[in-house]
Amino acid sequence: MARALGIVSFSENHIWVDGLENYRSIGAFSFLGRYRVIDFPISNFSNSGIDRIQVYVRRRPQSLVQHIGTGRHFNINSKSGYVQIMFTDSQEENDYYNTDVKAYMSNLEHIENTSNTHVVIAPAYMVYTQDFDALLKTHIESEADITVLYHSVDNAKEAYQNCYCVNLNRQKGVESFERNNGKLKNRNIFMDTYVMKKEVFIDLLKEAQKTSSMYTLRMIINDKCSEMDIRGVAHRGFFAPITDFKSYYDGNMSLLDLKTAKAVFNDSWPIYTRTNDSCPTQYFETADVKRSFVANGCMIEGTVENSVVGRECVIKPGAVVKNCIILTNVVIGEGVHIEGQVVDKNARVTKMKEILADPEMPGYIRRNDIV
Amino acid sequence: MKQNSMLAMILAGGRGSRLHELTNKVAKPAVAYGGKYKIIDFPLSNCANSGIDVVGVLTQYESVLLNSYVAGGSSWGLDARDSGVFVLPPREKSDANLNVYRGTADAISQNIDFVDSYEPEYILILSGDHIYKMNYAKMLKYHKENNADATIAVIEVPMKEASRFGIMNTDTQTGQIVEFEEKPEHPKSNLASMGIYIFNWKLLRKLLVADMKNESSNHDFGKDIIPTLLNDGKRLFAYKFKGYWKDVGTIDSLWEANMDLLDKKSGLNLDDRTWKIYTEDTPTFPQYIAETADVKNAYITQGCAVEGKVHNSVLFTGAQVGEGAQVLDSVLMPGAIVESGAVVQRALVADGVKIGSQAVVGDANSEHIELIAKNVKGVG
Repeated sequence: MARALGIVSFSENHIWVDGLENYRSIGAFSFLGRYRVIDFPISNFSNSGIDRIQVYVRRRPQSLVQHIGTGRHFNINSKSGYVQIMFTDSQEENDYYNTDVKAYMSNLEHIENTSNTHVVIAPAYMVYTQDFDALLKTHIESEADITVLYHSVDNAKEAYQNCYCVNLNRQKGVESFERNNGKLKNRNIFMDTYVMKKEVFIDLLKEAQKTSSMYTLRMIINDKCSEMDIRGVAHRGFFAPITDFKSYYDGNMSLLDLKTAKAVFNDSWPIYTRTNDSCPTQYFETADVKRSFVANGCMIEGTVENSVVGRECVIKPGAVVKNCIILTNVVIGEGVHIEGQVVDKNARVTKMKEILADPEMPGYIRRNDIV
Repeated sequence: MKQNSMLAMILAGGRGSRLHELTNKVAKPAVAYGGKYKIIDFPLSNCANSGIDVVGVLTQYESVLLNSYVAGGSSWGLDARDSGVFVLPPREKSDANLNVYRGTADAISQNIDFVDSYEPEYILILSGDHIYKMNYAKMLKYHKENNADATIAVIEVPMKEASRFGIMNTDTQTGQIVEFEEKPEHPKSNLASMGIYIFNWKLLRKLLVADMKNESSNHDFGKDIIPTLLNDGKRLFAYKFKGYWKDVGTIDSLWEANMDLLDKKSGLNLDDRTWKIYTEDTPTFPQYIAETADVKNAYITQGCAVEGKVHNSVLFTGAQVGEGAQVLDSVLMPGAIVESGAVVQRALVADGVKIGSQAVVGDANSEHIELIAKNVKGVG
């Protein structure tokens, strides 16, 4: 019997991914051609024996609802467990009011009524694997009030711009949360992941709401750093927060190395997703593919290099695709040369023969667009 | 949702011994095919796409794995209420002793109680070892239009090969079957039976009950049931099927059926979104094609990692090809590993088999395809 309720949270208001997020929430973004970003937190829960999972959605829920469906594909016991999508049906005049705290409060009875003693909260917009059962044990043994997960990086000057950092004391106690200002190279990036007792969580929500109608969970916990015992636990392994367009691009690209990918995807920690029943991918005589991840259902007659190709894409003869992320059901026409682009679902690139961008400043081609 | 009044029974009893080690542990319908599928996904998906809700799978050889594979039927969407896939090995019943299925007809006879419980008007009998896509609802429509007692799906084969098949001689005007000849020396027609039958259940039930008691019977659809129907002057019609159809009973034919996926002209395309072939989902990463890879004319599925050369080959879920390795005109079944520098040619590498570094298996000039069912040690 899992002690913890799993909560998949949504991003704060300062996070926005240009282009892609116009159509769906970050959790529903395609990742590595086959997955959605939210497959990672849900699979982490499922693999950790946490089979009661609430997914909070703020806006544009359609893709996510369709993807999660009954939740059965996440290997969750369909009787004692569930993956529940929690809506916050608020139409606030100002997005700042649409906080995670508000979403939890409007579904409070569904949190209170569970028999779980603890909550584990993980964000829908970060890609990482983590054994939450082990984290829960660490939390309980430490007798801390709250445990948070962080990831130490040495490139916080150029990356992780929209992330928060945790400032730790020598005993790994959290002193404060601070927005990454890009001034320091070495930082402990906050992974928006918390473990605490359910009643602590509920008390914090109520207090946050009393303090400010725009307060988020992170804000109230930041206020509590001096009076509560809040500990940081370091995460190891692959970590890709998706907090803007560039980090989405880089997160995908950083897995284009077999060793890195094999460390993330292994038999003992499966990442579940919803099958599309696509047939395998066909490579034709003229195909030339290097250093790429390719999903099923594609027909490849052209050149693909250093790219991620989603399901059911067609790469025509003479097409050259380099440093690109191609989402589902895209056609790259004959002789089209495309570099450094994120091509959204159902787009057809056939008329423009050259669309080039530096991978440092990748471009975006709109969903359903014909270019 | 009740869709139609036809129940399907897939004959999957045979061991498929001509597939050698591939069927050592699993029944033939559970043998892998086409990158991500198993043979039985084809009749099951055809049933699901044709609106058939209940499918019985008749097996007596190694049914445990097959059972866990199809159990519930959710992979094919056959898991709604009043719907399901049921594996039916021989059972001991209150009024009958445990008995192996003595023939294809006997397999149905022993499950009359199962069929009866669904009260179908029609019964569709399928064989579990063919690769094809077919809309059985169209065949049923044809059956009803002809007011037939039985309808048999046929495919035109080259006349010179006709003597290898069960041949239907028909009235060319009406399509009514006038004669059935099993492997005739001098065939009069090239319409080969595909082993796909629709019967009116009440009629078939009566024949099966009689057949069970007939000690001289082979209890076989082709040898006994069809001839009896013809002798009785019943209305039997041939339903002409056009499209890809292949029996994958041997290593060579299983290899060929895989190679046919590389050829757009073969008539077998699995990318038709209106007639998907469903299969069990496996959690693996997408396929990875490395910097050092050279992939041409290949059919590759999720979970594969290719660092070497793959030409004119089909790679099944999780197959790995190391750097400098060559896989030519071959089939790598699920989880097969070809280590760096190894060469695999005109071969079919069985599930999970490892070809060690620098080893060479198969032969470009061999007449038959070599089945590699055991690990091959690396060289040096």
